[in-house]
Amino acid sequence: MNSLVVKAGRCHARNLCRLTALIFLCSLGHSFAAETQLRFVTWKSETAQLWDQPIADFEKQNPGVKVIREIGPQSSTQLHDLITQKLKNRDTEMDVFVMDVIWPAEFASAGWALPLDRFFALAEQKQFLDAPIQANRYRGQIFGVPLFVDAGLLYYRKDLLEKYGVPPPRTWPELVEEAKTILAQEKDPQLVGFSGQFKQYEGLVCNMMEFVLSNGGNLWNEKQLVSTLNQPRALEAVRFVRDRIIGQIAHRGVLAYEEPESLVLFTEGRAIFHRNWPYAWNVANDSQRSKIAGKIGMMPLPYFPGGKGVAALGGWQLAISRFSKKSELAWRFVAFMTGHAMQKRITLSTGRAPARAALYNDREVLDQLPQLKSLWETFKQAVPRPTTPVYVPLSNIMQRYFSSVLALPDTNIDKRAALAARDMDRVLDLVREAPAP
Amino acid sequence: MRSSHRLALLFLLPSLIFVSLFAFYPIFESFRLSFYRSILTLPWLGQKMVGWENYTDLWTDPVAAESLRTTLFFVVTTIPLELSFGLGMALVMNEVFRGRGLLRAVILIPWAIPTVVSSQMWRFIFNDRYGLFNFLLFGGDASRYLAPLADPTLAPLAIIVAEVWKTAPFVALIVLAGLQSIPDEVYEAASIDGATSWQQFRYVTLPLLRPALLLALLFRTIDALRVFDLVYVMTQGGPADATNVLSFYGYKKIFAEGMVGYGSAIAVGVFLISLILSLVYLRILKSSRLEGIPR
Repeated sequence: MNSLVVKAGRCHARNLCRLTALIFLCSLGHSFAAETQLRFVTWKSETAQLWDQPIADFEKQNPGVKVIREIGPQSSTQLHDLITQKLKNRDTEMDVFVMDVIWPAEFASAGWALPLDRFFALAEQKQFLDAPIQANRYRGQIFGVPLFVDAGLLYYRKDLLEKYGVPPPRTWPELVEEAKTILAQEKDPQLVGFSGQFKQYEGLVCNMMEFVLSNGGNLWNEKQLVSTLNQPRALEAVRFVRDRIIGQIAHRGVLAYEEPESLVLFTEGRAIFHRNWPYAWNVANDSQRSKIAGKIGMMPLPYFPGGKGVAALGGWQLAISRFSKKSELAWRFVAFMTGHAMQKRITLSTGRAPARAALYNDREVLDQLPQLKSLWETFKQAVPRPTTPVYVPLSNIMQRYFSSVLALPDTNIDKRAALAARDMDRVLDLVREAPAP
Repeated sequence: MRSSHRLALLFLLPSLIFVSLFAFYPIFESFRLSFYRSILTLPWLGQKMVGWENYTDLWTDPVAAESLRTTLFFVVTTIPLELSFGLGMALVMNEVFRGRGLLRAVILIPWAIPTVVSSQMWRFIFNDRYGLFNFLLFGGDASRYLAPLADPTLAPLAIIVAEVWKTAPFVALIVLAGLQSIPDEVYEAASIDGATSWQQFRYVTLPLLRPALLLALLFRTIDALRVFDLVYVMTQGGPADATNVLSFYGYKKIFAEGMVGYGSAIAVGVFLISLILSLVYLRILKSSRLEGIPR
């Protein structure tokens, strides 16, 4: 009995040896193959024109290079967790990754993103829109190359506004009054006046920032590093959203909405006004996906009397990991993806707003995407969320504050704002003596 | 004798290494980090030993206090519901009838579905426009539809419903095992003594089920204290922090904000609460084993 076990064991061991040898040989063969891999971490695109085709072209131009595309979550917050996890672990596998417009300062300060100054000359930087370039700078160095630009916009139902003879609103109070007028006369229980993104997540900060800044307020003072959420203009804007919009012209359900849910409400024809990014234009005008194709208008966001309209800057950049061992090749890929020819092709095939300024004057692009003309001004003036390595903790404090005062109508805004400001000041104190990276 | 000892040790070694690598080391590391100020995005601040500072901060942090209240509310509401539903299901599954095998399988489905998938399903059910929940309550009358996940009072309840749906089958499984270990003679004796079926349940079944129920209670309490995935998928802690349970708060601190020291202090807090509760349960479990069971 015993010897049988031993025999079986020996036999097993021999097989194991063979297997190991085989694996070893295979891996040898693998490393001999003249193929360099480049790992690119990004979100999933709805069309093949975005990642698949450009990557195939890049591989054709660079024989022997294979780009491995790793798909992460669509949500910026969740993608942030995935990418920072790799960077924290000094993962040498990941070479290139997409970066949301709010990440560069954090990734630069942490030493995760490679400074690109030696590749990305100043003259070349000037070819891009200025706001996203500024968002990619941290303490004199540049850490990403803009790929797409986003900015908050107001969409509206042109047909309904015309039906009741109201002009597109210039100010927020006008928007509320117009929505009320139309709602009162349409008498449709399914229809709401406004839909935006008010869930407790990053999008809430974008939406609320647009209200606060268009009333002359601010989130925090970037020079003095103190929160300004508890100052009168900021408080006034927040109070307006709570008392005149949420539960009034917008139903309380928006407090759980991110972009997709709020857009569906609009494309179903159930919202008069809608705040979203530029991609919503194509979706809302696609009669396959939208009941209101051809019946909509798009314009810069309104402002408060005495203020001026502010669009939050969004968008995506390409960055290179500091732990990548192939930074030269990685740069070749980044330059290829953000080059003029590829940007034009991606713009034409996906309708996403490009980061290169010249494309906004390109005849071929404008013929196909006339809306880019009107987006140009908005993009040029779009305001980035303040750049700081402690953006995420600050954003979490602001999300908590905004969500609390909007979802709990009886809370004392002044008191909540004072608490939030105190918490923000504590976080901002941490970066007072930040050295250059 | 000695060589067999050595052999035993040899056999134990792999699991010992495994446990120390994947259980003790992370716990120890969390404890250590909780005494440091370590912020990943600000590496130039260095890793500074700050003693109890993270803990004193945690003690006075109103968000953490609120988060603890939310977590405890979740624990004390879900557990009685899970235990009663689980007990009911186990009693049904224990009866002999046609289609019992099928029923057992059906009851276990919620437990078998990965939580991330079922939370996504519940998110759709509670949707304010096309969710099943509103349709069942109000039919086609969209003007009365509620938005449970957008309401600070309803959102925690929505999470509780999802949790009970998911884990009652797990309790049922443990209780069923307990039921099957009760010998038939005890019931025979009871019915000869003229006990009604309610009396049989009250004075025979329930006392003999005590160890199984306590075991279920132990597992569920520890699990409920660490609830994370439902919140992550359904609400991300909102609205107004109403579902910001401790594990999610700690996760955000460490993984999103990079505040490793403070986040570790939160994790240690959750660990200590579960540890103390487990010790209390284990003590009760032990004494109940010694008391009741006929052998």
